[in-house]
Amino acid sequence: MLKIDQLISGYGSVQILNGANMKVKKQSIVALLGGNGTGKSTILRAASGLIRSWKGTIEFNGEQIQNLPAHEIVGRGLVQVTQGKDVFPAMSVTENLKLGGFILKSKQQLSDNLEKVYNYFPRLNERKDQLAATLSGGELQMLCIGRGLMSNPKMIMLDEPSAALAPQIVLDIFKNINRIRQDGLTVLVVEQNVRMALLLADYGYVIKDGVINVEGDSKKLMYDESVKESYLGGTKANV
Amino acid sequence: MFNKLRIGKKGENIIFGTFVLLYIGWCVNSPDMNIESLKSVLTIGLSVGIIYGLVALGISLIYTGLDVVNFSHGEFFMIGAFAGLTMFNLLGNQDWIFNIFPDAYGWIIYVVCLFTAFVSMGLFGVFIERVFLRPLTKKGGGYTVAGMGIIICGFGLSVVLINVAYLIWNPVAKPFPAELGLPMEIGGLFLPITYIWMIVVGLSVAAGLWFFLNKTKMGLGIRAVAYSKDVSNLVGINVPLYISIIFGIACAIAGIGGTLVGPTYQVVVFMGYIILMKAFAAAVVGGFGNLPGAIVGGFTVGIFETASSFYISGSHKDLYAFLLMIVVLMIKPTGFFGVQVKMKA
Repeated sequence: MLKIDQLISGYGSVQILNGANMKVKKQSIVALLGGNGTGKSTILRAASGLIRSWKGTIEFNGEQIQNLPAHEIVGRGLVQVTQGKDVFPAMSVTENLKLGGFILKSKQQLSDNLEKVYNYFPRLNERKDQLAATLSGGELQMLCIGRGLMSNPKMIMLDEPSAALAPQIVLDIFKNINRIRQDGLTVLVVEQNVRMALLLADYGYVIKDGVINVEGDSKKLMYDESVKESYLGGTKANV
Repeated sequence: MFNKLRIGKKGENIIFGTFVLLYIGWCVNSPDMNIESLKSVLTIGLSVGIIYGLVALGISLIYTGLDVVNFSHGEFFMIGAFAGLTMFNLLGNQDWIFNIFPDAYGWIIYVVCLFTAFVSMGLFGVFIERVFLRPLTKKGGGYTVAGMGIIICGFGLSVVLINVAYLIWNPVAKPFPAELGLPMEIGGLFLPITYIWMIVVGLSVAAGLWFFLNKTKMGLGIRAVAYSKDVSNLVGINVPLYISIIFGIACAIAGIGGTLVGPTYQVVVFMGYIILMKAFAAAVVGGFGNLPGAIVGGFTVGIFETASSFYISGSHKDLYAFLLMIVVLMIKPTGFFGVQVKMKA
């Protein structure tokens, strides 16, 4: 479904990605793991069109989408969910969700999708008239994921859904991600929480210094020594 | 130790209230103080104030949407006034309109002029934004990063637009030629009816903008873009288009302000500069970047200015707006409705 080939990108003149390759199959959950500053989020930002891709291709559903404007990529069904803080704090929960469905044409579909999201996250329904600024961390993350689901995407990319949340809430959110996959969506999860992410995912990629270092079945990766090594970012001393 | 010198929100309000009371006391003591003069001060103050408010509204809208301060906004106001005037002159000789509406002839044309100024300045604003400001953002990451260059570009645009207007309409002050009805009697004093017209149309434009921003889908998108460009991109909003729309709306509102001022004062090439400065004062007084604050700030500056020139000294009329701005910045730096500065990505 999503195929990233020799992607080179970065911010300003700083190159972060040095030729990353990835594949995400339809209706699968793929985890993208790595330490701080290895380029996880950069891959997502390049795929969703927030930053330019300097070289390489990004294919979605068989079409090349690199360097398309971000709103067209959303229109094609590839949606990125940012980390929990990126909501519109001065708007109510419902307004935030309606913004998620901004590209929808019909009002009927908007309210259908709103129902669907409230079905995934009943907590949001309880707080639908509250300002988003008053939500707790876990509710903010639910709101972000819900907003991503509003536009009828084919695939969503989650940027650290477990960041700064209590383990119980992380479990809850991951269960919902699994439900989302069962309903037919493809999911790419960027995570720092390796164990949880590999429990959830079918396939995993570990990124280090802007290239994919290790990849494989998530069951296998869980016991792989090199994962631990590259995740901790430890450079072995060459004596 | 300086922490102890800081005054809280309550302290700010008390000191500001004291200033207001002192000022009112000063005005009441003036020999010119009577109910008639108070009425005319309020009418003129409100009508001038709504004009400052409309321009301040545009400045605040551009500031929240694009993260830059538009220093050429006064020129859109001036060109809007000329656009309205040109339309008035075009329609003024048309007999057939007069034959259809013999009673309300002037008013019908005037409404058309307001509409013309609104639409033409909107399109002109989009054109300016696309052609002159947008290329500056190509290099870096959009408007936030290119801020300083755009501010300087705004100054340059202001000079260029003044000179273009100078070439087209020459520097002679022009009155709106038509008769817009007799002065109206308000509680014993006669005032041009255009003052009331300014207040009514100005408030309707402000209310229309509020409705547009809060009740329509496009307004929702504009509020989203104003808060965060990145997140707006991710929900599928066409951010470059929306930035143009924000700029266009701000300029259209300034244009309608120019045509509103036209019949009461005169239309001059250099009218934009002083309006821009006073609109800044209004925006600061109301709280920079706050839209209802811009209107309230406009009213405050308008009434303060008119009252001061009536009761204190009429020869320093342009001074008072900035005096008020300085006092507000000293005592309540965030303005009436300002919020704490928030970090923007």
